Amino acid sequence: MGKISKTVVVALFLAGGLLLSSCSNTPSDEEMKQLNDLKAEVSSLEKQVAEKQREKAALEKQVAEKNGKLQQCQSDQEAVKKGLGK
Amino acid sequence: MKNNHVFSLILFIVVAMLINITPIFAQEEMTKDQWQEQMTSYKAKQADLQAQVTKLNADIEGLKAQSSKLDADLLACEDALYVMLGVTRADVEAFDKELTQMETRVSELQRMSDAELINYKDELAQLDSRIKEMAQSKICLIPRYGDRVKALQDKITALMNSIQKEKTYTVGTWGKDRDCLWNIAKKKDIYANAWMWPKIWQGNRDMIKDPDVIKPKWVLKIPEGNELSKEEKSAANRYYRNKAAAPAEAPKQ
Repeated sequence: MGKISKTVVVALFLAGGLLLSSCSNTPSDEEMKQLNDLKAEVSSLEKQVAEKQREKAALEKQVAEKNGKLQQCQSDQEAVKKGLGK
Repeated sequence: MKNNHVFSLILFIVVAMLINITPIFAQEEMTKDQWQEQMTSYKAKQADLQAQVTKLNADIEGLKAQSSKLDADLLACEDALYVMLGVTRADVEAFDKELTQMETRVSELQRMSDAELINYKDELAQLDSRIKEMAQSKICLIPRYGDRVKALQDKITALMNSIQKEKTYTVGTWGKDRDCLWNIAKKKDIYANAWMWPKIWQGNRDMIKDPDVIKPKWVLKIPEGNELSKEEKSAANRYYRNKAAAPAEAPKQ
């Protein structure tokens, strides 16, 4: 019976130890704050990227329009030259 | 020996339960490994996003520079074009403004019926004369203006043709069509106003001697306008006075 009690105590310690060791394996508050800050920064960067992509698309459209106008003007110049008989 | 087995079984169950409970707590609170894993993943995302922002900033700066250069090139091109034509930017802008106003007005006139349009005959003549002057401008050598002026000229010509062509009406029978000057004038495609009947009478004096008598198959001219002239009013008054002196039927064929 003494042997059995010993075994039970050892087993309980082992199980308790396992439980406790798993509890102490969690990150500290400071580490959690670090992770949350990082998540917030990533989210802010994602918004920034989306905004910049929109700005870039608008500028690309603007440049394409201006290119079109310039080409039109150059072709107008040719037509006027012809019309004036130069 | 039997007790040993029972204890071993209980021990096994207790240990197994404790081991099973551990992950339940772990699900509520993140483990250090999971924390580390998330930190690594988010740091990689952060680095990737920062690189994207840097590249996008560079692209945007490049596009802004390109846009400014295009503005300058376009301005120079237009200036050279205007010098070739011997006009100023202000001349071209004024030409464009006037042309746009005329296009708007012609669109309004196009929505009118022929009967309404007759009241704007003088305005149409002015528009026609002005567009002909504009067509002579050197600015019309710029294709987009030349094309617009030509298109507007065609529209004005079409409007003028539609009011200049003489409208006629072929008289039907009283039995079938109930045609009399009053009823003809009342028709929507004639004057849409029965009181305009003296206009038809006066416009067809060669045929209509008595406004109460019109004959089937007569082709009546329908004079333009939506008001009676002084002469037409006088003729109508004479008719009504005579009628009052000798009452008879309403004007009919």
